[in-house]
Amino acid sequence: MRTRILMVLVFAGLATVGSPTFAHHGNAAFEVGTPTVLKNAVVTEFVWINPHPLIKADYKNEKGEVQHWIMEMGSTVSAQLIGWSRTTLAPGDVVTLYVWKAKTGAFAGRFNKVDFSDGTTMRDTQTGGDDGGRADTGVRQ
Amino acid sequence: MRKVSTGIIAGVVGALCISALVSAQAPQNNAPRSPWKYYPEDARANEGPGGPAPVRDMSGTWAGESSGAGVKRLVPPERNPAFTALGKELFSKNKAESNGVLIAQSNDPHVRFCDPFGFPRNMNDQIRSMTIATVQNRTFVMLKFMNIWREIWMDGRALPTKFAGRGADVHDPTYNGYSVGRWVDDYTFVAETTGMAPETWATEGGLPHSVDAKVTERFNRSSKNDLSLTMTMDDPKLYSKPVSLGEVNFRWIPSQTFFDFSCVPSSVQMYLKEMADPSGTPAAAK
Repeated sequence: MRTRILMVLVFAGLATVGSPTFAHHGNAAFEVGTPTVLKNAVVTEFVWINPHPLIKADYKNEKGEVQHWIMEMGSTVSAQLIGWSRTTLAPGDVVTLYVWKAKTGAFAGRFNKVDFSDGTTMRDTQTGGDDGGRADTGVRQ
Repeated sequence: MRKVSTGIIAGVVGALCISALVSAQAPQNNAPRSPWKYYPEDARANEGPGGPAPVRDMSGTWAGESSGAGVKRLVPPERNPAFTALGKELFSKNKAESNGVLIAQSNDPHVRFCDPFGFPRNMNDQIRSMTIATVQNRTFVMLKFMNIWREIWMDGRALPTKFAGRGADVHDPTYNGYSVGRWVDDYTFVAETTGMAPETWATEGGLPHSVDAKVTERFNRSSKNDLSLTMTMDDPKLYSKPVSLGEVNFRWIPSQTFFDFSCVPSSVQMYLKEMADPSGTPAAAK
């Protein structure tokens, strides 16, 4: 029994390491958990601004309906620390976007990560932590 | 006991494996470095105390908790201080995001309009990086967030005391107030500030302050690489006891560089209109 309890505690600690946290602006507006996946979304605009860069993209759902999405990242300065720049995304890029959707149901949310067509992935900062961390690992580079 | 040990070892090995996988994701950057750029490794390369603190010297560029340097805040500001009736009334009007209010419903003048934090909030919120420089009669504190600077006079002058009414001895409130400072020992610098614009918030949590509030900052340099700052606010109109504004920590940045981070009003209006307000207002949902 003690072994089981210890193992549960160890793995609970590991799970905590991966939990997303927010710092600059809160997460209350978003469904933080399993992100919504927008496969083959077409970037329409990448707005490199503070407090948060905005990714705008069109996503066609399984019914063929086009949804106009917008999502926010961490700040420009924290994103720069993990390799982002104002040209990382450009209109016309076809990518897969992962986003924590707004609770209101709007096609808006907190950006998590992007899969590019060449197989590479770039993540957001520690989901608003602005400390150069990685969104889905919870650790710093 | 043996099973317990096996369980612990298995857990630790699992943690190390996950840690190794995570490390492997970090990009290996062999690109040429520019002296005009700030790299995260510049701040993080500075391990340990780095030697004794120089005497009566805080000059240089320092990394705060939101700088990317892994600096931790020591003590957050109080969230429920001992309000007077007026203090409680003013606090109730401030809809701070950190009190569970969505950005769409917040009336934080900085979040909604990029208004300056003003002092003391600019020393306890968005603590990214700062540079301290001392000239003959003043110490300047320059903050990366919003590209602002404060000046702390060290020529022995007294703080002004009147900020209302008419007369030659009346001083207008300012965002950063009026500051004087002195070394109280070889490693501790104390600054006092009053006359801050009362429309600003003292903390991200929406604590109000009056124009007569007096804030005491205590900078302590415990080593070459470590600087801490504790802040206390005395404001008898709004609080029946002094309010702790917390303690923040700074680490010496080896490269002595940081880049700016400003809130731009036109950008924040775009952000609110297109992103934050639709995300936080049910009626705006599609």
